[in-house]
Amino acid sequence: METFVNIISTISILAIPALILFIVIYGAIKKVKIYEAFVEGAKEGFNVGVRIIPYLVAMLVAIGIFRAGGAMELLARIIYPITNLIGMPAEALPMAIMRPLSGSGALGVMSEIIKTHGADSLIGRMVSVMMGSGETTFYVLAVYFGSISITKTRQAVPAGIVADVVGIVMSVWLVNLIWG
Amino acid sequence: MLNYIWLALIIIGVMVAVWGDWNDISTNRYHNGEAYETVLQLSNTPILPLRQSQVYQCTVVYSEELGIMQRAELTPGAGNSGSLHIFMDDNTPPLWREIFKAQKNNDFLFAHVKWESISDQKFPTRMTFDPIRFVKLNNVTNEGIIKYAKIAVELAIGLIGIMALWLGIMKIAEQAGLVAKLAGVLKPITTRLFPDVPADHPAMGAMIMNISANMLGLANAATPLGLKAMEELNKLNKKLGTATDAMCTFLVINTSNVQLIPATVIAIRASAGSSNPTDILGPVIVATTVNTIVGIITVKLLAKLSVFRRQLTTEV
Repeated sequence: METFVNIISTISILAIPALILFIVIYGAIKKVKIYEAFVEGAKEGFNVGVRIIPYLVAMLVAIGIFRAGGAMELLARIIYPITNLIGMPAEALPMAIMRPLSGSGALGVMSEIIKTHGADSLIGRMVSVMMGSGETTFYVLAVYFGSISITKTRQAVPAGIVADVVGIVMSVWLVNLIWG
Repeated sequence: MLNYIWLALIIIGVMVAVWGDWNDISTNRYHNGEAYETVLQLSNTPILPLRQSQVYQCTVVYSEELGIMQRAELTPGAGNSGSLHIFMDDNTPPLWREIFKAQKNNDFLFAHVKWESISDQKFPTRMTFDPIRFVKLNNVTNEGIIKYAKIAVELAIGLIGIMALWLGIMKIAEQAGLVAKLAGVLKPITTRLFPDVPADHPAMGAMIMNISANMLGLANAATPLGLKAMEELNKLNKKLGTATDAMCTFLVINTSNVQLIPATVIAIRASAGSSNPTDILGPVIVATTVNTIVGIITVKLLAKLSVFRRQLTTEV
């Protein structure tokens, strides 16, 4: 495991400089006017950033309202009987709800749980796996679809939610299986 | 679908806040209007009478047995009254802490005090807090709406620089023919995942680069490359504003997190004193692989449903 981590993290560090270097040199060899091409492509960066603002505001404000009013705690209390059946401790439930909604929020919940229960506790491991295997689904939806002004998202949302739920259930099941 | 989720988040968020505040008011959770019998002990022998608007260091003694003795600053006002800035410590009662949070002063708890007379360094007082109401709704306004509207823009603006960089690099790669070449390498897989995208379309190259960056945990590169891929996919879109099947599949791959090493999680575990911070890697990789596969199967199956099919063809 240690070697695997080392290899991947080395690749991660080298990837960006290596990729940029490779593309620029390859472009130069192929006689592309690299500087002009770069600037031409980069021009779009501003437009994309500005284009996603309304989508991001809509999504994040709704999630903000949901979090700030204490709805998370209420939802956790309501669905606790169901999650209890699959072996998820009540303490890990806020993490499961937060993960697809807010990346920084989920990170906060995870740090808090690890601080109170310990990193090597069952709950500590469970939230770590949830954090590592999940993604901020609604943020990704807003940014990706927002960048090309798509409002009719069709099957992306239900499929994304199914994937999230499966990820959470798998995390709980695997951690209970290995360390429970 | 997003419409309903959006509506649900807002309605549930506000309703729960109203309900919580209503509960707080009906049970008088913050003991609004109640006075605390306390003793104030000035740190130095004062020259009496106390001078208005001067700050006196003191200690608020609420209960000696419980050790609730808080350092504070007294600013006498007109008559036998004044205002207190209380500095909290480990023995501060939980309710006072909540009041402190609701007051939103930076480092002190604000209270009013009244007394009959002062003849000594130590004298009895009646202490009251300003009434606290609508904590949750206030939170919704400040911590929810205003803060997140700001965060959204900061995130979007923060993306511009890195976005420009990768779009520039991608333009070079495109003109050099690299993107199309890359698309060719993984043809057998990508044409199955995205049957409606031509195998050598630039969208394929961008999607492959986005997924690779995601696997390596390079969020800074993954998002710009992903947005580039969306833009390319949109060129194949016959009905702008509606997502195509390929877009939905690509989105699900992105929302199911294909990252191999969750570096942040490992770092947090290590700093929290885990004996083996990376031992969660096995389950992480299994869970994320399974949820990606299930996500892809689900998105493909749902794409066959007439509800979603119809959106591609009919005018809505």
